[in-house]
Amino acid sequence: MSGHLLHRQPILRTPDGIGGALPALILIALFFVVPVVALLLRSVTEPVPGLQNYAILFGDGTYARVFFNTFLVATVVTAVTVIVAFPVAWMLAIMPPALGSIVFGIIILSMWTNLLTRTYAWMVLLQRTGVINRTLMDIGLISEPLPLINNLTGVTIGMVYIMLPFMILPLVGTLRAIDPMTLRAAALCGASPFDAFRRILLPLSLPGIAAGGLMVFVMSLGYFVTPTLLGGTSNMMLAAMIAQMIQSLLNWGLGSAAAFILLLVTMALYALQLRLVGAKRMTGGI
Amino acid sequence: MLLDYDRLGWLRAALLGFTGLVAAFLLLPVVFIVLLSFGSSRWLAFPPPGWTLKWYEELFADPAWLEAALTSARIATMAAILAVVIGLLASFALVRGQFRGRNTLRGLLLTPMVLPVVVFAIAIYAFFLRIGLGGTTAGFVIAHTVLALPFAIIPITAALEGFDKSIEDAAIVCGASPFEAKLRVTLPAIKIGIFSAAIFAFLASWDEVVVAIFMASPTLQTLPVKIWGSLRQDLSPVIAAASSLLVLLTLSLMIVTSLIRRKLSK
Repeated sequence: MSGHLLHRQPILRTPDGIGGALPALILIALFFVVPVVALLLRSVTEPVPGLQNYAILFGDGTYARVFFNTFLVATVVTAVTVIVAFPVAWMLAIMPPALGSIVFGIIILSMWTNLLTRTYAWMVLLQRTGVINRTLMDIGLISEPLPLINNLTGVTIGMVYIMLPFMILPLVGTLRAIDPMTLRAAALCGASPFDAFRRILLPLSLPGIAAGGLMVFVMSLGYFVTPTLLGGTSNMMLAAMIAQMIQSLLNWGLGSAAAFILLLVTMALYALQLRLVGAKRMTGGI
Repeated sequence: MLLDYDRLGWLRAALLGFTGLVAAFLLLPVVFIVLLSFGSSRWLAFPPPGWTLKWYEELFADPAWLEAALTSARIATMAAILAVVIGLLASFALVRGQFRGRNTLRGLLLTPMVLPVVVFAIAIYAFFLRIGLGGTTAGFVIAHTVLALPFAIIPITAALEGFDKSIEDAAIVCGASPFEAKLRVTLPAIKIGIFSAAIFAFLASWDEVVVAIFMASPTLQTLPVKIWGSLRQDLSPVIAAASSLLVLLTLSLMIVTSLIRRKLSK
């Protein structure tokens, strides 16, 4: 036994090396990095070598509209999500656990329910003859059905619904980390609740808001399913346009150029987020 | 004061009311779909004129639905196992390894979670067409393992960071081989992390739509692809029936998860 122990000694001093990461590294290199780089190369080689695909994307008003739509929806979705999520996260951070666990349960149920199921529900709810329009007409608020689907309104409602958990959950963590004493001190010093909110609670939760907001913005930019189903064909967003260029038009050059633009914007914002909050904090959602 | 639940005053009522509204908003589509799946109106009128089980009968009468669900379960199980095993090995290196570029490596392995899926979907679609894996189960499993890997790595590294390595070293001093020590000391200690990783990795594949749409062939389609195809045709109540079963699955998964977590943390 003692010989055995001596034999094992050197291993104690060697920490786990990079070796364990090799299978993951090979998987990601071979089936993620190589395909993505190969795709991006097509954007400058098809149909002929050069930057003509990018010239087309930036020169044509139709594509400019898609870019504008995408950024507009992502911005509005992020703003609405932040405003709606903040009070909920605030309450969840301080609520009695029994009550809080019910709200948490609802958030998890919504988040874990199949994405297509949730989007399907919104398609039915928002349609011309859907429950929302019928209810509003029955109570006499409107006389004509509101156009809630196949436009950017529908996309925004559906996207806010999907993004809310991603904003609420990390924000609860941020708010829980704030010491309630700081706010009691403010009140003792005569600050009104509004002042305490504006000058203490809000600034202290700003890192969480920035991190969550950036994550929601990035996810919204590249979202495919919900904008495609709720937005209709005339309000295409970037991800749907990329899919259409490849799948229906078989224009690999143009499609991969648009994919490269989306990738570049996403990665730039991701890097910004890593600088803001660090890799670990960012994943507080799960 | 603002963070003291008992001293918020009128603000508490306002904030609680708002939280209740948001909770209702989050619950609305889920409850609505379940109610609708029992409604008798083909045109999805609500409240339904009557109640029926015929959409469920239609669902089970069409073998394509069951086949798609089984395909999804098969692919998601394989992808989850692969992602957890590969992710577990990688987590040891990411948490304990002392080599240059560790954070870069971590960032790289988590990138599939950040990159818009549509970019990955067309990239892997083109790549698999070239190497002959397009429309195959193997192709599906590989692509979904890539997407599920970050969801496995995050909970496992978190659990591993909370585990004191000197306990493992103690086992080695007492004569266990390093492998034995990991297997019998470290793994049981981080089992909640591994369990969460398995659930998240499974869901990442089970719910995945975009890669699946590109990869699917007439003979191989997952449940999300089947739903997607039906959605593009019409808003048939059969989709509501299928969706309700998925809601039931989510609920059971939530209950099982909380039970197992409670048991494991004892």
